[in-house]
Amino acid sequence: MIRTENLTKVYRMGAVEVQALRDVNLEIKDGEFIAIIGPSGSGKSTLLNLIGCLDKPTSGAVFIDGINTGKLSENGLAEIRREKIGFIFQQFNLIHTLNALENVALPMFFAGVRHEIRMERAEELLAKVGLGDRIHHKPSEMSGGEQQRVAIARALSNDPEIIIGDEPTGNIDTEAGNAIMDILEGLNHEGRTIIVVTHDAEIAARARVTKRMRDGSVL
Amino acid sequence: MKDAFLLVNRNIKERKARSALTILGITVGIGAVIALMSVGYGMQESITGQLTEMADLIMVMPGRMDFETAYMELGSFDERDLKDVERIKGVKEAAAMMAEMFETEYKGEKFMVEIVGVDPGDIGALFGKVVKPEEGRYVRENDHKTCTIGYSIAKDYFDDEIGVNDRITINGSKFRVVGVLKKQGGFRSEVDSQIYVTKRDSVTILDNEDISEIFVRVRDIGKAEEIADEIEERINDNHKVDDFASAMTMGSSIKRLESVFGILQVVLIAIASISLIVAAMGIMNTMLMSVMERTHEIGVMKAIGAKNRNILFLFLLEAGMVSLVGGVFGCIVGIIAAKAISFGIVTKFGVEITAIVKPEVLLGAVVVAMLVGVLSGLYPARKASKMSPVEAVR
Repeated sequence: MIRTENLTKVYRMGAVEVQALRDVNLEIKDGEFIAIIGPSGSGKSTLLNLIGCLDKPTSGAVFIDGINTGKLSENGLAEIRREKIGFIFQQFNLIHTLNALENVALPMFFAGVRHEIRMERAEELLAKVGLGDRIHHKPSEMSGGEQQRVAIARALSNDPEIIIGDEPTGNIDTEAGNAIMDILEGLNHEGRTIIVVTHDAEIAARARVTKRMRDGSVL
Repeated sequence: MKDAFLLVNRNIKERKARSALTILGITVGIGAVIALMSVGYGMQESITGQLTEMADLIMVMPGRMDFETAYMELGSFDERDLKDVERIKGVKEAAAMMAEMFETEYKGEKFMVEIVGVDPGDIGALFGKVVKPEEGRYVRENDHKTCTIGYSIAKDYFDDEIGVNDRITINGSKFRVVGVLKKQGGFRSEVDSQIYVTKRDSVTILDNEDISEIFVRVRDIGKAEEIADEIEERINDNHKVDDFASAMTMGSSIKRLESVFGILQVVLIAIASISLIVAAMGIMNTMLMSVMERTHEIGVMKAIGAKNRNILFLFLLEAGMVSLVGGVFGCIVGIIAAKAISFGIVTKFGVEITAIVKPEVLLGAVVVAMLVGVLSGLYPARKASKMSPVEAVR
């Protein structure tokens, strides 16, 4: 379970302070499929970064399975990201020098999984997202939809409970976007918690819960 | 580990030109160090090696031999000095040399050449075991107007080469050549440009019996210094002048030369190290640029679970690999350069030098290259590892 407590984030840009999040209290149950919607600048991505342990809050706290992530060291946060969370980004963020298989295997490399097991599992995951025949292709040789599917396979590589997607369909066409959502739905059926940020109402409609944000607050 | 190499290898290949230039920097630096060290060792070996062959020799000259003041008073020794030297305990044999420059003519060509008169019985003391005739023989006791000539006199001085039984004119008298000495070069190159005649013949040309130099061979090389001191003392007593004679052992020359070469080596390495420092800055620069360029990628890696130390390791590995490749290439370039330099010295100056490439130098060079690489990669790598994962999503 994920719980935020008076979560506040203030960015300082020179002399100006930008209040990105204001006292957000949110509870996301295990196995939830939640879409966070809102205009740009409403704080959706900031909230996602804090839940995903990419960033630290200015005040307040994020609890993941009862662990106060604000109390963890950088290494502790890295471990949480590695073991409990899988990220999907709007820009896919694959490592362009590595092929699909190697990209999917990378988180397992950081986790210290043995080479053979890693490669085997990476292949399985690519097959699961429908790319079994493209495992040796570089990101530059793939369409946006395919790249995002590689990214999903990568997010799944350490078998996380939580999948976080920041505009996962924002850079791909509708058809490919629907395919991505199909996969995410499937993962939700497996019992994983899915948190997606989007400003596409159609995409948001496929989630079981929708939260709206404005000016750093969840409405 | 294998995958870390793969990852790093891809990154290096991704930026071919830049990586190649960085590697080239290290290659040049390491190559320069190896080449200079190897040539240095070669020079040292060729010179001290030649001196070691003459380690049992003490050269006694009139006047003071002093490197600091370069003061040298010329005089000459006499028979009594020679006899006294021969009587010193530990002296195996002693040879008197009478030397002076005279006009020497062969087939109408004339040169001023140093004519050395020596008692044929003392040839062994003079030449030791190293100076041998290439053809013919040494001058002999019963010879009349004969000479044994140095290699350069035979081959280089005159348009026509001089061989055994040819006749040359020294100071107006005809002499028959009975032998040509082997080429010496290096420290004994003066032998190549000398003409040796019997003491009896030299007296007739020189018109005096002054001894210009005494060559002493000792039985025990370890006692050479002691004996040299005693020689100086005896001759000084004979002439009632302090510092009349100076006796120089080859052993002390070797030591002196070795210290000179030690300094030379350090200077050469210091010069070569400058290129290594430049190369280190090259690596640091490349790695820093690489970190800047890959800010986003580093963020992504962290977002998917890389710890600081994972990132640190990857960047250090990259720096290490680049410098290892540079180091290995540097060894190859260094060996080739060392051979080329020594070949150049041989052809240009006629001095026999073989570059000595020591395996420990090569190994040391590769280790130094890696060390330089990893150290100069440390700052960029730390910078990369401390990057925030939020960079990934910006």
